[in-house]
Amino acid sequence: MTGALRRSAGIVGMVAILLFFTVSLPDTFLTLRNWLNISQQISMLAVVAVTMTVVMAMGDFDLSVGSMASLSGVVAAAAFLQGWPIPAALGLSLVVGLMGGVFNGVMVALVGILPFVATLATLTVFSGLAFLVSDGRTVFGRDIPSAFSDFARSGLPLSSGEGPALVLPNLTLVALGVALVVWVVLEQTTYGRRLYALGGNTEAARLAGLPVQALRLSAYAFTGVGAAIAGLMYASRVASANPTQGDGLMLTAIASVFLGMTLTRDGSPRVFATLAGVLVLGVLDNGLTQMRVDSYVREVLVGAIILVAVGMSALGRGSALRRS
Amino acid sequence: MMATRSIFTSAVLVAGLSGAAAAQEVAVITPYLSQPGTQFYVDGFEARAEELGWDVNVVDTAGDVGAVISRIEDVVTRGVDAIVISVDPAQVGAGLQTAADAGIPVVGMDAGSDPLVAVNITSNGYAMAAETAVYVANRIGGEGNVVMFTFDPFPPVQVRGVVADAIFGNFPDIEVIDRITPDVSDGGIADSRAQMEAVLAANPEPGGIAAVWAAWDQPALGALQAIEAAGRAEEGIVITGIDANPQARDAIADGGNFEASVAQDFEGIGQTTADTVARILAGEELRQRVIYVPTELVTAANAAD
Repeated sequence: MTGALRRSAGIVGMVAILLFFTVSLPDTFLTLRNWLNISQQISMLAVVAVTMTVVMAMGDFDLSVGSMASLSGVVAAAAFLQGWPIPAALGLSLVVGLMGGVFNGVMVALVGILPFVATLATLTVFSGLAFLVSDGRTVFGRDIPSAFSDFARSGLPLSSGEGPALVLPNLTLVALGVALVVWVVLEQTTYGRRLYALGGNTEAARLAGLPVQALRLSAYAFTGVGAAIAGLMYASRVASANPTQGDGLMLTAIASVFLGMTLTRDGSPRVFATLAGVLVLGVLDNGLTQMRVDSYVREVLVGAIILVAVGMSALGRGSALRRS
Repeated sequence: MMATRSIFTSAVLVAGLSGAAAAQEVAVITPYLSQPGTQFYVDGFEARAEELGWDVNVVDTAGDVGAVISRIEDVVTRGVDAIVISVDPAQVGAGLQTAADAGIPVVGMDAGSDPLVAVNITSNGYAMAAETAVYVANRIGGEGNVVMFTFDPFPPVQVRGVVADAIFGNFPDIEVIDRITPDVSDGGIADSRAQMEAVLAANPEPGGIAAVWAAWDQPALGALQAIEAAGRAEEGIVITGIDANPQARDAIADGGNFEASVAQDFEGIGQTTADTVARILAGEELRQRVIYVPTELVTAANAAD
């Protein structure tokens, strides 16, 4: 009962935000072009957030994703500087992401360090590596192959009419692809159900004979690779790489998962709910910019909305507890 | 809600019909608003924009260059009259393309040149380097050994070195005995000091070094520390820098070896940017892709200003 109430409060809140912008920006907000823009603007965050959903399903989280995204971008750029072909450079970045994720997994699952501490430490390690690899500089201009930066500027053409063509951006397609894969793995397979079981009760999962350590370790591979993909998307979008450019993704990704959790029946993290959370944050940035709300006020508002949404959700859970 | 909407719609219609009478809307987008230089640009821009009666929206993405692209897309969707950016245009090409497709002019405020930027307003690096290089040449009477600190990997600083090379090359009795590229990973002062100490050790005789020309202030400050630490401040080695940062101004005001630097007019860049946007909005076709705002030589006479 409270679950349904909480969920509907979340949905009402999201619809209210959409309605508000639709009314305030009647000519521009609900246009296909604007939504294609938004889809591209949130694509990097979406990739990090849906992979974050995997570890949050187990009740863990990964603080190192932002610096991993930065590291992935500068690793690819360094490979470009060495004259590597684009696929090899991208492959190297993804391998770095995988290794970083597995390393997090080893620290948490095998060594037994709390996720907060382990990934806070690797956040610093990855960030330091990003500075080492890049020498603290921004790699840009001719050093970045144009085929790489063109990727983020193109997509599937949707119209051939007058004016600037409408395209479904490549970055959006990548984000959708990643979301689909994570959705299948997390919500349609035994593996995924076992991760949720871990999040529900680790001890019970262990007693039921689940390979708890292996499961936990493997989940961190998703955040590592997801962060690496997002870092490459970001580098392609800005046609450059510097050792801090992905850092902002971590907090917003975790916030998106929390926002999404206010929408699910049992308050657990789900892939499509996370995407809805990402979308809310993207829509706020887009709409408030168009309404010319001051950038700093915008930040305060976004934080406040996260507090209200997650706060309502917590109150819902609290009253459920009192009743039981 | 409906009433709000119809009022808004009619306001848009009125604005559309009255055409030129409506306030022009300009968005200023930068990831670097918290940096002092950028703040001065924006202050200068806003002051001039207010006189022009514009509606200015300043968007700061707090260091996130990718978000600059997103915000350019958003203000293009909104339909602003012009966009001003203060970020490397090569990094926000995707957003510039969106603006170009929509026919909205983008002007750079010390942003760098790009085919999609109508015009960039900045300081003239060539001229700044010429100011200090001729200061050095004249001050040492056109003869003596000069040490140069340059940084060719960074294009805006590279051009400064080229000009100084040309000017010193034009004096037959000036010899550039060292052209040093300091390691800048720690800010540039410490390594410049170490490198200068080596040069001083290699040229122990008083008067063996007449001047140090640095392409920016940090190496000049490092060289000053090395000269003072070596007890050779009384030899009258002339040091010049460029940018006139506060630390350099203090050193110049002290009246020691560090004698001159060049100050950029950040507010002036902001004002000229606004004036240039006004010219574009008035339909003028600009011939120049770069507009330079004059800089000022800073010596002990005006360092405290």
